[in-house]
Amino acid sequence: MEKPEKLIVDGKRLDGRAPDELRPLKIEVGILERANGSAYVELGANKVLAAVYGPREMHPRHHQQPDTAVLRCRYNMAPFSVEERKRPGPDRRSVEISKVTREALEQVVFLKLYPRSVIDVFIEVLQADAGTRTAGITAAAVALADAGVPMRDIVSSIAVGKVDGTIVLDLTNDEDQWGTTDMPIAMVPRKKLITLLQMDGHFTGEEFKQALDLAFKGCEQIYDAQRQALREKYAIKRGNKK
Amino acid sequence: MIHVQNRELVVPGQLIAEGDYQVYEGAFREGKQVYASVVGLADVRGQNIRIIPLQGRYIPKRGDVVIGVVVDSHHSGWILDINSPYIGNLFVSDLLRRKVDLVREDISQYLGMDDVVVAGIKEVNERMRVQLEAGEPGMGRVEGGKLVEISPMKVPRVIGRKGSMLNTLQNVGECRINVGQNGRIMVWGKNPRMTNAVIEALFMIEREAHTSGLTDRVHLMLEKIKSGGK
Repeated sequence: MEKPEKLIVDGKRLDGRAPDELRPLKIEVGILERANGSAYVELGANKVLAAVYGPREMHPRHHQQPDTAVLRCRYNMAPFSVEERKRPGPDRRSVEISKVTREALEQVVFLKLYPRSVIDVFIEVLQADAGTRTAGITAAAVALADAGVPMRDIVSSIAVGKVDGTIVLDLTNDEDQWGTTDMPIAMVPRKKLITLLQMDGHFTGEEFKQALDLAFKGCEQIYDAQRQALREKYAIKRGNKK
Repeated sequence: MIHVQNRELVVPGQLIAEGDYQVYEGAFREGKQVYASVVGLADVRGQNIRIIPLQGRYIPKRGDVVIGVVVDSHHSGWILDINSPYIGNLFVSDLLRRKVDLVREDISQYLGMDDVVVAGIKEVNERMRVQLEAGEPGMGRVEGGKLVEISPMKVPRVIGRKGSMLNTLQNVGECRINVGQNGRIMVWGKNPRMTNAVIEALFMIEREAHTSGLTDRVHLMLEKIKSGGK
């Protein structure tokens, strides 16, 4: 796609959203039979699958921690998830994203309850349209809850950025490419604790504050959707009552 | 001040109560506030708060009875898989309840690889090293029967209130059942048809653990299969 002349026309973005609007969000819980917990997230054109295994015995054994469990995350993009085929396997980008994902989630998990074990989190991006690391964290947090792993809260994550001089929420690939700034954020919604903050591009101090406020609002919406998805899966089916 | 109803579905991070409550598994406190840490049903009894988890793995607890499978042996005992992040250690002396002279006696005659063992958890230390014992009556190596594995969180449902579900399964299903807290269940029956029916019923309990009137439905299902066989 060529760079469009304008990314925001009459206060609306290319896909018709307002600057502070999320893309359509869908969260499904527990869709993998073999995993202890799983979640599938669609955020606009992003399609992300997260699976949690564990707590289980740590292999290799020398990675065991005698007093705590270890959280292991893998972010992986499918070769077919992007326009140009992505060479499969870990690369510089996915290794970094795996690391920041782990750090974003680690803050809320009660790892001390399961010494010597490991909790594995796998995030598979099936289709990408900017914001896959945030969608991945959103999915992984729900999958962890689905696995019954004790947590302080459910981590929510979203990106904010600047496009055509306007602060916008949840950038699409085009906006990410042609915009000036992209800032993914993950947070613990209840305590407003930021567990991931990266930035590509630049903001002025004032813009940064504005963007942060917008991200908080976005995360609140995602948080609600996450809790809703969990409730739906586990709600007692009244229809079966006799 | 309690913010949820009893038996309400809660999710991690949800505020359950404020004040001086005694907090048990599935919840944690932050100052005066008590929050849920797992997806589950809030169980509030007086000043005591706990969450009945709906998912999760089995974590060994002292006094539990579990069903393990021998995965390895060493000079003085065996290592058992107990369907948990942690393995179980069983010493010969805890199986036979006597001193064993390891030089004179070959312990492989008592347990071999892949043997199924009913064992109690003698001790769990802070590093989650699990000591098992299998000397009590009803424990030790399992002979015959069928082994079923379900989610450990659904085990209380298989037992039922005061063992009601277990009684239904055993009486109507004409079999003997041994339930391990780790989600492994042994079923012994003379009638293979009813044994299979009981196994089906166990999977049904796992699938429909969150619904009410389950004991009656299990009873009905077993009766139906029983009468159909005559």
